[in-house]
Amino acid sequence: MRAFRRQKGRYVARLDAGERAVVASVVADVAELLGAGRFEDGPPPAAGPGAAPGDATPGGPWSVRTAPLPPPDDPAVRRLLPDASRDDPEVAAEFRRLTEDDLRARKVARLRSLWTALVHGEPGWPEDALVVAPTSADDVAATLTDLRLVLADRLDLRTDADSEALYDGLATAPEDDVRTYLASVYGALSWLQESLLAVMLAAHEEHRPGGGRSGD
Amino acid sequence: MPAPTAVPDTTVEADEATGVADAWVTIVWNDPVNLMSYVTYVFQTYFRYPREKAERLMRQVHEEGRAVVSTGNREAMEVDVQAMHSYGLWATLQRGGE
Repeated sequence: MRAFRRQKGRYVARLDAGERAVVASVVADVAELLGAGRFEDGPPPAAGPGAAPGDATPGGPWSVRTAPLPPPDDPAVRRLLPDASRDDPEVAAEFRRLTEDDLRARKVARLRSLWTALVHGEPGWPEDALVVAPTSADDVAATLTDLRLVLADRLDLRTDADSEALYDGLATAPEDDVRTYLASVYGALSWLQESLLAVMLAAHEEHRPGGGRSGD
Repeated sequence: MPAPTAVPDTTVEADEATGVADAWVTIVWNDPVNLMSYVTYVFQTYFRYPREKAERLMRQVHEEGRAVVSTGNREAMEVDVQAMHSYGLWATLQRGGE
């Protein structure tokens, strides 16, 4: 794996076939957790990304749910689609009813784009290149966060101290240990995301827009 | 969190016309996953805060566990919270001053 760098106006990392397969399978797992069905080659299912049976908003994207939507049972999914209030269930329920379908569909669509890039590569680039257009960089960075949030839940990372202690003892753990595997994928994705952020922040500094929200 | 510096205004009638009485806030919470560089990037690009302010808010989230990142009416805060959730940050909204 090689970190993201700027190359011919794109942000390009290198992942060999094995690394691509691992990351693509995590992408597909997270999409499945979000109810997307398993990603496979070919056009997206007719129901559209994010539509689970019986879960679709009736009437399409412009309609609004009228019934409350319970929070997800899986803590990892709940972290991807979190409560918008810690102490006011009504605020959280209202927010979830109004936004969860959109948020879920958006996350699934981003996962699908990354999955396609990992599985099919980019025409005109070497096979091991993961090529990100600057306009898609936010989506890729956010998707890498979603992948890491799910892995972190499975690794029981609840506090900053848990994160810092993640790699303790891994060197002596058996290679086929599931936790070792998840931790190494988490570490690789963190490193990859950090390198993507470095080029994104550098580009942002170069094209710093004037103005912005007023504030102190 | 630091103590509020302003006492809430009791002249609600005057505020209602301008919406000040309906002030809500968006709070971003710390988590063990999000990278400091990413959180800073999100605050710089989504809120268009200057780098110094974005970094200060990022450090506040990291060190104090949370930070108020925007203020406005409830609808505007719902938009901001949804955007933060899309970025993978955990944000909540609440009435200002609570």
